[in-house]
Amino acid sequence: MNRVDPKFKDKLKPYGISDWNECFHCGNCTAICSHSEDSLLMPRNGIRAIQLGLKDKIHNNVDPWLCYYCGDCSEECPRNANPGELMMALRRYLTTVYDWTGVSRIFYTSRTVMIAAFLIVAAAVVGIGAMYSFQLEPIMEFGHLFEKIAIISVAAFILLPNIIRMFRLTLIKQKIKVPLSTLLSGIADLVINMFTQKKTLDCKENRVRWFEHFILVLGYLLLLATTVFLNWFGTDNIYIIIFGYVVGAITFIVTFDFIIRRIRKKAEISKFSHLSDWMFVVWLFLMGLSTFLIRVFIDIGIIQDHLWLYLVHLIILAQWAVIIVPFGKWMHFLYRSFAIYIAEMKKKALSLKQQNQVTTITA
Amino acid sequence: MRKAVKTGIYFSHPVGSQAHTINYRELYKYIKNVPVVTKIWDSTVNPISDEEYFTGEITSKSINRIIIAGYLPGYLKSIFSRFLKKAGEEAENISLVELYEHPLPDVPSTEIAKSKLICAIYDVPYEAAILAEMNPSQSETLVIGGGIAGIQAALDIANSHNKVYLVEKTGTIGGHMAMFDKTFPTLDCAACILTPKMVEVSNHPFIELMTYSEIKKISGIPGNYSVNILQKARRVNVNTCTGCGTCAEKCPGTSKSEFDAGTTMRKAIYMPFPQAVPNKYLIDADSCRYVQNGKCGVCVKNCPVENCINLDEKDKEVEVQVGNIVVATGFKTFNASRMEQYGYGKYPNVLTSLELERLVNAAGPTGGKISFRTQDKKGNWVFTAEGPEPKSVAIIHCVGSRDENYNKYCSRVCCMYSLKLAHLIKEKLPDAEIFEHYIDMRAFGKGYEEFYDRILHEGIHIIRGKTAKIEEHQDKLLLRTEDIEHNRILEQEVEMVILSVGLEPNNETGDLASILGIGLSANGWLQEANSLSNTTETSSGGIFIAGTCQGPKDIPDSVVQASAAASGVIQSIMLKKTEQSMKNISLSTIESKARELSLINGE
Repeated sequence: MNRVDPKFKDKLKPYGISDWNECFHCGNCTAICSHSEDSLLMPRNGIRAIQLGLKDKIHNNVDPWLCYYCGDCSEECPRNANPGELMMALRRYLTTVYDWTGVSRIFYTSRTVMIAAFLIVAAAVVGIGAMYSFQLEPIMEFGHLFEKIAIISVAAFILLPNIIRMFRLTLIKQKIKVPLSTLLSGIADLVINMFTQKKTLDCKENRVRWFEHFILVLGYLLLLATTVFLNWFGTDNIYIIIFGYVVGAITFIVTFDFIIRRIRKKAEISKFSHLSDWMFVVWLFLMGLSTFLIRVFIDIGIIQDHLWLYLVHLIILAQWAVIIVPFGKWMHFLYRSFAIYIAEMKKKALSLKQQNQVTTITA
Repeated sequence: MRKAVKTGIYFSHPVGSQAHTINYRELYKYIKNVPVVTKIWDSTVNPISDEEYFTGEITSKSINRIIIAGYLPGYLKSIFSRFLKKAGEEAENISLVELYEHPLPDVPSTEIAKSKLICAIYDVPYEAAILAEMNPSQSETLVIGGGIAGIQAALDIANSHNKVYLVEKTGTIGGHMAMFDKTFPTLDCAACILTPKMVEVSNHPFIELMTYSEIKKISGIPGNYSVNILQKARRVNVNTCTGCGTCAEKCPGTSKSEFDAGTTMRKAIYMPFPQAVPNKYLIDADSCRYVQNGKCGVCVKNCPVENCINLDEKDKEVEVQVGNIVVATGFKTFNASRMEQYGYGKYPNVLTSLELERLVNAAGPTGGKISFRTQDKKGNWVFTAEGPEPKSVAIIHCVGSRDENYNKYCSRVCCMYSLKLAHLIKEKLPDAEIFEHYIDMRAFGKGYEEFYDRILHEGIHIIRGKTAKIEEHQDKLLLRTEDIEHNRILEQEVEMVILSVGLEPNNETGDLASILGIGLSANGWLQEANSLSNTTETSSGGIFIAGTCQGPKDIPDSVVQASAAASGVIQSIMLKKTEQSMKNISLSTIESKARELSLINGE
């Protein structure tokens, strides 16, 4: 049963578009979407659910994650209701639903709190710098340790529980029974989708964007691996150094292009930028650039005189690891991949159920 | 003793992207000092959200009457009525003043707004105040446009034994209605209704018909307009042409037939259609070889009547004197190739509704057969009576209408004519599958819902959902639609698609409005004096509007409006007086008249 919450649409205001009543349900958006099919009627169904306030239906549904925002629906919408951005807003909202800590909701709904959090993190980093009396060596050692601890704790205390909550909401609570063998068989696809986002290619004229996104994900993850596990800043291995330069450059060059697109607002997807979108690209850009510059400074031997650069880098890194990754847009990357997996499982469970029904009838 | 009137005036926002021609600051200054005006609110305060503020103001200033002025003021009436009730005042004490932003520079929007407001403040009908003085009028009338509305207006006026000049842009009267096969909802033959009226026009002793003519200039004052009419050269003498058609037989010049909506070719010397009025040939200069290259003259050689064709005839201008003018310039259909997702102009079997209208007509290019579009020897895409018939046809509603990217408004007639076309296709092709894709079904008129019901029972598939795109797929057309009522995506293969194109103001509407000094409304339609109570008059005295030039409407409504405009004209002829143009009546005249007629007194 679906409970109707007429005030629900007001709660969605901080997540993007505030007017959900423009839509007159002509179905143009769903028909134009290259991902929609009988089992996945979006974006119109999502808008309908919001207008009616079918909160549970939205919470239980992974549909918004299956949209890759090509913008076709928004371009041709006869009401200028911007269904593409509505889907994006739903994704922002769903991250707060999955987040067990409730912190992401606070960040999305209050800009002041978010800015305060960024400042506190920056102050903490400076404080730690002072603690080590602004000596480069111990600070860099601390930074390296911080990276490791941050990755493990964010994964263990935020990412994992949130993914479990997502499963609970969308599969377990729905009483959808999926056999273990089916669950296991989907894992390979899950990993492929996570790293390649290959479904983006179904969208029209999306190859360049997909490729950029693909090498960005790859560049970012490899940069993370090189700095954290291969100790890029400390290593003397020429191959690792060069490799680090390449992935670092990829990260800031691609993000720079993304920022330019958001400023130019030419493509439908870059027309609307929520604060969280800006944070994500700008911080990723700053991270790539600062990491790259530090290694340059190390290689030309001037890092000792430019401690500030490392401190700035550490501030950006800490804000990224403590705020943006666990409570911001970064999580979209994980949720989307799992959503594809969940949708696939749901579909398989449904077809199994239908098969069973058929056999009972024939028996 | 009667309580003193204290008035609060609220100005609501003008909506839309029109030019802002009303100077609101000047307006506020003008009405501020009228004694009964207690408070003026501009649209920086919103009565929908600031309820407390408004009730507080009304109570503290003991306001007992509200005037809402602006664009569509009726929207806010119930809200202010509630405020008055809360303050313990008479809830019905509200007047509405519609203000228009006339985009034309020579219409003094601010002055008109002032005069309307002052009348509302003194609680005098605006009409009563501006009717105070009228111009003496002549009895002749000019009707611009020879479609069904123009014909109706011309006949109504001429039947009261008053002279009418009927000016038509093309070579024949009849307009769009002549192109239609059947009319909804009764499925009467359109020509059977229209052609007798056309013949009546041509034979009427009080109507002077001027086809192939355009309005160039209008001068003078209401009641005594002098109109310059450009009579384009027909190059065929209307008086001697017998309509035999020998001239066209050998004519080498061709062009797409306007009357057949481009579905077939016609000669450069042509009669628009067999029932054309006047039933005479004319030459289209753009496709005539003699006019273009100076060499040909085949028609002259073949014409059996001496000196009937004069290839060197020049355009000429005539001047007529009239008292009143009825504008009935009609519409044009939306250019479907603007919606690239439907591939009109790219896929030969994507048709507009007007093209299909000609195909199903027994006098059309295919003799009433619905066939596929094919290329003729010269490479023109046309329809002929040969070849197979489609087995499946989809009709897509709202093409160019109800769409922010094209026209936001509803064109009003498309739902009904689409249902009619579905019926006509079913009649011709009983085995064909016919699909209608609609957003909302608007069957609003008398007998219309019943007609919809009838079509529903004829085995036509009526699907709720706007088709998003059409692609060519193995000689067929692939449509993708969300079937909203059955929660599924439809991918259908059909052989023919009909685009139900919406209505747009004619290209010349804007220019004509400038010539006449009347206003245009938001979407380029002509502006009526009042959208509720006076839909045929305009801001210029003695100029009336009728039919689709005022806004999309169907045949019955066009006829009604034409007769209403005619009755306005006849009133003026009988009184021998015409209303003055709003811009010609000075504000002080209106103000003093309003004060004179007013029963309201300030403190």
